Order: sequence, then C-alpha cells, then structure tokens
Amino acid sequence: MKRFLDGYHRLLTWLMAASVAILIVPVTLQIVSRYTALIPSWIWTEELSRFLFIWMIMLGAMIAVREGTHFIVDFVPDLPPKPTAALQVVANLCILAFALVFVWWGIQFVRFGWSQTSELAELPMTFIFIAWPLAGATWALFLGESFLHNFRVLAGSDVR
Amino acid sequence: MMSAALSPGMAAIVLFGGFFLFLLVRVPVAFALGLACLPLLVIEPRLSPMMLFNETFKAYNSFILLAVPFYLLTANLMNCGGVTDRLIRLSRAMVGNFPGALAQINVVLSVFFAGISGSSTADAASQSKVFIEAQVKEGYGLSFSIAITAVSAVLAVIIPPSILMIVWGGVISTSIGAMYLAGFLPGLLIAAAQMATVHVYAKIYNYPVYPRASLKEFFYAGWISLPALATAFIIVGGVLLGWFTPTESACIAVLYTILLSVFIYRELNLGNLYQAFVDTGRLSAIALFCVGTASAFGWLLAYYQIPRALLENVSTWGMGLTQAGFFIAFVFLVVGCFLDAIPAIIIFGTILQPLAHSVGMHPIHFAIIGIVSLAFGLVTPPYGLCLMIACSVAKVPVRFALKDTMIMLVPMLLMLAAIIVFPEIPLILPKLIAPELLK
Repeated sequence: MKRFLDGYHRLLTWLMAASVAILIVPVTLQIVSRYTALIPSWIWTEELSRFLFIWMIMLGAMIAVREGTHFIVDFVPDLPPKPTAALQVVANLCILAFALVFVWWGIQFVRFGWSQTSELAELPMTFIFIAWPLAGATWALFLGESFLHNFRVLAGSDVR
Repeated sequence: MMSAALSPGMAAIVLFGGFFLFLLVRVPVAFALGLACLPLLVIEPRLSPMMLFNETFKAYNSFILLAVPFYLLTANLMNCGGVTDRLIRLSRAMVGNFPGALAQINVVLSVFFAGISGSSTADAASQSKVFIEAQVKEGYGLSFSIAITAVSAVLAVIIPPSILMIVWGGVISTSIGAMYLAGFLPGLLIAAAQMATVHVYAKIYNYPVYPRASLKEFFYAGWISLPALATAFIIVGGVLLGWFTPTESACIAVLYTILLSVFIYRELNLGNLYQAFVDTGRLSAIALFCVGTASAFGWLLAYYQIPRALLENVSTWGMGLTQAGFFIAFVFLVVGCFLDAIPAIIIFGTILQPLAHSVGMHPIHFAIIGIVSLAFGLVTPPYGLCLMIACSVAKVPVRFALKDTMIMLVPMLLMLAAIIVFPEIPLILPKLIAPELLK
C-alpha cells in the first residue's frame, strides 16, 4: 500500500512539475505572436495557460497534504508525541470532512461542467472541474495513511 | 439588496469563530478558511456548497495570478543558476563592512530581489534557505535571523514588479506602470529602516563584521551582476513601455533567467531545472490554494455585507486626508493579519476606495498605502505567509520569532506613517518620469 501511495505521490509531483514547465510555452507563444509574423496569434494561448495553471494549483494542493506542507498556525506549544498525534487526528478529521465535500459536491460540479464548453478552445469544462473531486479523493487517500500512522502512535507501538 | 437568513453580525461570528476554531486544532489555513464557509453555505437557503467550487475556480482561472508561479520560478532559477550568488557578492561588497554584515546583506539582497521578482513568498522561501542557517552559524540569534529574513522579504511586493500591484490594478483600475514607479521610494525607505534596525541589533548583540571590500572587488562584483540586474529593467521597463502585460513580463523574466544561467553563468543543469519546477509548483500551489478558499471566505463576507457593516459609520466621521490615510492603513494592517493580501485587496480595496476618493486622496497614494500595509500583513500572524515560510524553513513554530518580528515592524510602521503624511514620497517618481500615468 505504501509503495502504491509513493508511486502515486511521485506521479502527481511529476505532473505538477510538467504543468509548471509547459506553462511557459503558451505565454511565450502569446508574446512572440504579437511581435513577429512567425506564428499566427492564437487566441487560446491565454485560456490554455489558465487551465494548466488551475491543474498546477490543484495537483500541488494534493501532494501538500501528504507532505504536510499546507500552512499551519501554531497557537499551542509543542506537545509530547501522543497528544500531538491526537490533535493531528482531530485536524485530519476536519480536512477529511473538507475532502468529502470536495468529492460529493465536486461530482455535481463535474456534471455541470459537461454542459459547458470553454470560451475559446471549446473544451468541455469537465476536464478542468474534475480536478476538484480528484483532489478530494486524493486527500482522503493520503489522510487514511496519516490516520494509520497516528493510531499506531496513540497505541504506543510505533513512535517514529 | 437581497435579504440573508443571518444578520451580518451572526454571519461574522460563524465565519471568524469557525476559522479560529479550526486554526486552533491545527487545521491548515487554507482548509480552515474553506471549512468556516461551509455552515453558512448549508444554512443559507440561497447558497449551496457549489459556491465553494465556483469561487475557487474563479480565483484560479486568472491570467493575472499566473504571474505568481512565474515570479517564483524566476526566483528559484536565480538560486540554482548562480544569479543569487552574484547578487550576494555584490551586496557583500556594498554593505559587508557594516555591523551585522550578513543581516545587512540579507536586506540589500532583498532589495535587488524585489526588483526582479514580484513575490514576497518567493523571496522569503529562497532567502530563508540561504541566510537563516548561515546567520546562525556566524553567531546571530535564530529568532533574529528568521525575523529579518521575513520582514525584508516584504520589500518584494513594494518595490516593482509586484504581484499585489498587478492585482490592485486589475481590481481598482489604477495604472500598474504608475504604481511600479511609485513603489520604488517607499520600498527603499523601508529597506533603510530595516538596515537601521539591524545596525542597532548588531551593536547590542555584537554581531560580526566583514572587512571592507576593495573598490576593485566592488566594481568586479557589480560587473558580473550586471546581466542579472538588467532583468529588473527588462521587466519593469517592458511593463512601463507597454510591451508586455505584467504576467508576460514575468514569463520573459523566466526565459531571461534560464538563458543567463545556461549561457552566461553556466550553472544550470537539467536536474536543477526539474527541481526548480517542482519547488515552484509546490510553493505556488499551497500559497494559491489559500487564495482560492480565502476568496470564497471573502465572497461570503461581502455577501453578508460584513465589511460594509463594519465601515458604515466611517464616512460620517469627517476625516481629513491624513486621518483617512491612517484609517486606511489601519484597516489593511488588521485585515492583513487574517486574510491573504489578494482577497484583502478584492474585498477591502473596493470598499475603501470611495472613502479615499471623498477625501481627495490620489489613487496612486491610496494604492501604495494599501499595498505597504498589506505587505506588512505578510509577517503578522495568524496569517503571515512570509513569517510562516521562514519559520518552516528553520523548523520552529511561528511563535518563536514573533517578538523580534514585532520589534522590527516598529521602524517600518514609522516609514508607513511618513508615506501617509507625505504623499510626495510615492508620487514624486511618477510625477518626474511619467506624469501622463498619474491622470
């Protein structure tokens, strides 16, 4: 299971890096097409870059849950491992609730997307909207792993 | 307007109460903002959780915000492509002989960085990695090192180019070129205030000094940094002359930095490049994901007309220009503690604009007061991105560096007061260089 999650994590990271790299292309094309006659001024460069941008954000938000890098504000001082794990479980339950909201209403959002096409490139918006329920499902998956770890700490069998 | 099921007061309690409750149990900020919206979305008959998707989608579907990953990528490429090293060398030749040398270099580098990158989070992320460890190694206090790195990073959104100015120009239709010019002097003044603070700290704690650089070293360092410094002129000049949109200029900065690192400094390889893409994606995604849920949160604040309820009586106070300036700064400083700067501009900038207009404040003056105040919000908890980044790099909780950060904010706030009292500070450069932009 851990190997599957590691692989999935790597895949998401790779896709995110690729979307950052590809983002440069349409924006550059947009500038080049304005100042030279080398290529026609494709109007969808702006739209394509925005859609890549959305995917980049959502992919990054997915992996950040596993990496634990979403910004946290620490009001409480550092606690010993067990209370920390307990608090982590509470926080993760909250994130899980949010993840399930993303899955449940996200599916409606995707259905709604079938009836819409993007303004310029005429892609069905589903290809964009699907990032939301996918993020919810991915969070739930990664949170499951974190729950297992925290329960082990709470049970006292594995203090890493 | 529409009647809502809850009064503004009740809605405010649910939103802010929920937000703090979730923060308290260590739910990440982005999720706490989203979760705090949910009860209202369920209770209110006219709303549904679908709105959460619409608002986050609208926030991300923005060509303007696309400048954020580009600015971050520029910064990351500068770090791994050898650009930052040359700028550090130049900063060292300039201020290395001042007391608290490394911390002074930290501030001066932030000024150079600010001229190339428009993102404070990028500055905080890259300089935290470079300076915090190095400063501690040389005997500087850890909390001091974190605090100076975080507060100097806010310069990036005050000195052009600036993501906040781009957003401000988009929302409140103010000339981005004029704001760019107007940001220079306030940024330099705030940097000077920070250097003075470092000087005092260095005298009290006896921080180390480097030997004075020779004139030859100074010119050599300047010469090898010249191609890097040219980036600032390409970006800011390109926007001022109307060659590129701000987002495009950020993309040009990326391409230029890649060229520079590959062909002139020859320090970039494929491994570095991939790492820069990954780091950029990671940081811009978590920062921008916050912007999405913060936009939903802000949208609900506006739906219940909470900002208007808060500011209802203000226009009858009969404030003069300076008082209004202080009031605007105060509002943005308080808001900046809780909201990301971008949604704060969207919500409060538009609400305060009539007030600024009614007292005859120049739109550019208004913009600079707002942006500087919100920039300070980047280091004020609970939601101070730069401070959070610096602390997470140093692996300490935010509380740890809070005291030194607050001390350093005092001289910076004095500079803000000067900007409010003397509108000429921001307005003089645009008046001299591009008076047509001020109309």
